[in-house]
Amino acid sequence: MELNIVGTNAITYPAMHVWDWRVAIYLFLGGLSGGLMTMSAINYLRPNRTPESTCSWQIPVLAPILLTIGLFFLNLDLERKLNAFWFYLTFKPVSPMSWGAWIVLIIYPLMILYALASLPKDVKGKITTPAIRNAADTLQPYLLPLAKANVIAGIILAIYTGVLLSTLVARPLWNSAILPVLFLTSGMSAGAAVMIIVAQSKEVKLFFTKVDIWLIITEVVVLLLFFYGHYTGDAAHRQAIMPFFSGSHEFFPYFLSIVALGVCLPLAIVLKFLEVTGEHTEELTTSGLLLMNASAVLVLIGGAVIRFAIVYAGQLSGYGGYM
Amino acid sequence: MPRYVMVIDQSRCVACMACVVACKRENDVPAEHYRTRVVEMVRGEFPRLRSEMRSELCNHCDNPPCVNICPTGASHKQADGTVQINRRKCVGCKACITACPYDVRYINEEHGYADKCSFCQHRLKEGKEPACVATCIGRSRMFGDLDDPNSEVSQILRETSWRTLKPEVGTKPNVYYINQFPRKS
Repeated sequence: MELNIVGTNAITYPAMHVWDWRVAIYLFLGGLSGGLMTMSAINYLRPNRTPESTCSWQIPVLAPILLTIGLFFLNLDLERKLNAFWFYLTFKPVSPMSWGAWIVLIIYPLMILYALASLPKDVKGKITTPAIRNAADTLQPYLLPLAKANVIAGIILAIYTGVLLSTLVARPLWNSAILPVLFLTSGMSAGAAVMIIVAQSKEVKLFFTKVDIWLIITEVVVLLLFFYGHYTGDAAHRQAIMPFFSGSHEFFPYFLSIVALGVCLPLAIVLKFLEVTGEHTEELTTSGLLLMNASAVLVLIGGAVIRFAIVYAGQLSGYGGYM
Repeated sequence: MPRYVMVIDQSRCVACMACVVACKRENDVPAEHYRTRVVEMVRGEFPRLRSEMRSELCNHCDNPPCVNICPTGASHKQADGTVQINRRKCVGCKACITACPYDVRYINEEHGYADKCSFCQHRLKEGKEPACVATCIGRSRMFGDLDDPNSEVSQILRETSWRTLKPEVGTKPNVYYINQFPRKS
């Protein structure tokens, strides 16, 4: 067949390239900060928590910082940045992007209040601005309800990033109800990984290592179901996952992403399993710490690879093309 | 209130590209962008070849994914059935471009807003046809009010077999293509 088209736009032809690494980074950091909100709050709320394993205050502070960085990249992607105020002059119930804008507006204060409430005395003492110190003191008694709210808010934030893409019916790769669940498990797993890296206490590290094992297993199962759902779907959905499995030169980065996920996630499970089953001394040894951090970094790499691969490959998918 | 639709008779298209040029000229479309395109396909093996010319543009869908995804209401459906963009409200998030299964939207790089065919809204207000329809030498493109039973488009859609593009996406397009039947020998 010979095809000649007069009047194509470079943004959509020969393949769509509308959203790039900026959106992928936002989706990754949004999911990660959601995961951090939930995981740090779970750490505070879990019943058998010892005083030494109190949540590292750095985590609740890190969550809004990562979300801010993510939103910065998202803002970089907007073509009319000064018009962004229109997000907050409209609420469209059918638009996931409108929901996202409002969710961020509600979640942000919740994150910041939780971060302030969880500041320990010695850290508060170092704060030179009295208003912030006083706010942290005032919020301290509300740490429990704030932690509970953060568990839910973190889940909403992490799942929203997947909902945004999954509603786009024109892009069969994204148009799957499993995608939000995949992004949720990936975000939670990445949150647990950062908890492992940042937490000081051995008990916290081991607790989140156990949590992460289950989260990664869930993530792998959901990822397999995601591909299975597409494979058994209509022609457009089946075609949409082909870049990952064709192995051709044209789609090599997507094939590589599957290889990377196939290595990172199972390897992280094995390393974590060895960590939780192995004998540990009072203090973690340097090699033990290194192994723990290495497996956590593998999880983070896996989470980033999923976001980048899905964002880029989704834009290659469509219904029928010009045939 | 009318309900505007376009009917395209592919058998009358000669691929002169006058519609593409007229659209760019009428709507001051930037040099590197297009609101309408003409797809030319040749199928089969020589000498048994079959060619198809197909004009494509915004389908002004009744269930428009671009309108549903738009977070600010910039992309909206009007009472006359057309999908329009309020440029003032557009933030340039590009969600509408990814949402459109027909790939007919683009970003006006000079101003940053999303843009597409408007069925020449400014001409409709003056009682004129869209520029691509007015210029079509083969009368391949026809335009009118589907709610008026006496309009040319209503009569054609009643009397002929037609299809819309990508019906499986469920967008309910308002650009109709008259089916071509193979000539009996």
